[in-house]
Amino acid sequence: MSATLDRADFAGLVRDELGIDIDETELDRPFDALEGWDSVHLLTLLSLLEKETGAPLSLPDFLDAQSLASIYELVTR
Amino acid sequence: MVDLHPDRTVRVLSAGTALPGPPVDTEALAERFGMDRLWRQWVDTFIGTRTRHLAVDLATGEPRESLADLATTAAGAALVRAGVSAQDIDVVVLGSATPDTLMPATVNVVADRLRIDGIPTFQLQSGCSGAVQTFDVATALLATGRHRTALVIGGDVIAKHYDVHADLRSLPPELLVNYVLFGDGAGAAVLTAEPGHDDAPIVRTVLTRLAGLDREPGQVLRWYGTADRDRADTPANEDYKAIEELVPELAAEVTDELLDDLGWERDEITYLLPPQLSVTMTEKIVKRLDLPLAEEITVVGETGNNGNALLFFQLERLLDTMSAPSRAVAVAIESSKWIRSGLALERDGGN
Repeated sequence: MSATLDRADFAGLVRDELGIDIDETELDRPFDALEGWDSVHLLTLLSLLEKETGAPLSLPDFLDAQSLASIYELVTR
Repeated sequence: MVDLHPDRTVRVLSAGTALPGPPVDTEALAERFGMDRLWRQWVDTFIGTRTRHLAVDLATGEPRESLADLATTAAGAALVRAGVSAQDIDVVVLGSATPDTLMPATVNVVADRLRIDGIPTFQLQSGCSGAVQTFDVATALLATGRHRTALVIGGDVIAKHYDVHADLRSLPPELLVNYVLFGDGAGAAVLTAEPGHDDAPIVRTVLTRLAGLDREPGQVLRWYGTADRDRADTPANEDYKAIEELVPELAAEVTDELLDDLGWERDEITYLLPPQLSVTMTEKIVKRLDLPLAEEITVVGETGNNGNALLFFQLERLLDTMSAPSRAVAVAIESSKWIRSGLALERDGGN
């Protein structure tokens, strides 16, 4: 969807906008291992990604994602 | 509960309920608050509540019904269904987290409107365990022999916390969830220790247990007066993570305690009235409670979480369908300072 959002940008978005302290090397950590991660973060992140990429997203497409890396891949493929 | 008169069986004669306005679906909320498709999908997926009823005009923010309005309607319906008159009621107990005013107590406004007077009335400041607490107080009073027929009422109206002009996009999660989880409503039931109602379900046991030791409140509602009306604290917020974690655990504890007290087996429960936080939370809790043959009675998908009223909506549905013989277990958890509660009903005999 977007050629401009690389993994570092994505990690920066998560860090700055969601307040989750993570860098691009840690995106594969499962959500269970992310302190404080919940469905509201997912909603907020997808809303931000819609703005960043300019492409509409559908939340059900992301329900099987197990990590931030999975979300990144779904958004950028 | 101390049963001073073991022969004084308490039975549930009826239930009545009242909801304000038309059902408000998530689409309507999204339209009002300018929320997008992702937000609607999040509500559908993670909250599951399809509609709620609000005592406030969604377009203008004008309050419509008060708690007293809804409670009077619900109580009136319960009296009619029970076939008793206001003069037959000799004690009233109302539970609410959101009384119309701190004084007079809403219970007394409702009693006045129903033409009930000259009897004891009690109001409990309560959250989601409030309906069970009204049963606990009323059945204890009926068991003493001092009273014969009780009217118990529960309800909540969140209009003053429902800012229709709020910018939901800027709200933190602990405030955002309030706009989709909650709704308004009231319910009531008539309980009696009078003989001659053998078909009515018997209240086998009621338990309410404070479980708040060393636990921070999961939900806070503040009230303000002239001197502190400009305080920066949000009037209402909740720790939804603590609620997600702790409510299923407390619900399991209540269920086990109820069954142990009564000597009932898990597969002997015909109906389960589970906690009604949201559709998705209730689904999780029902799985955990593991009552394999119990028919679930859940209303929150349509009513929204209307707090002290919920159990009465579930009871109303139960009473419409309860077979004989059968056993029902109801569980409610208050997540403010944490109260676990439940009750068990039984219909004797057979058709």
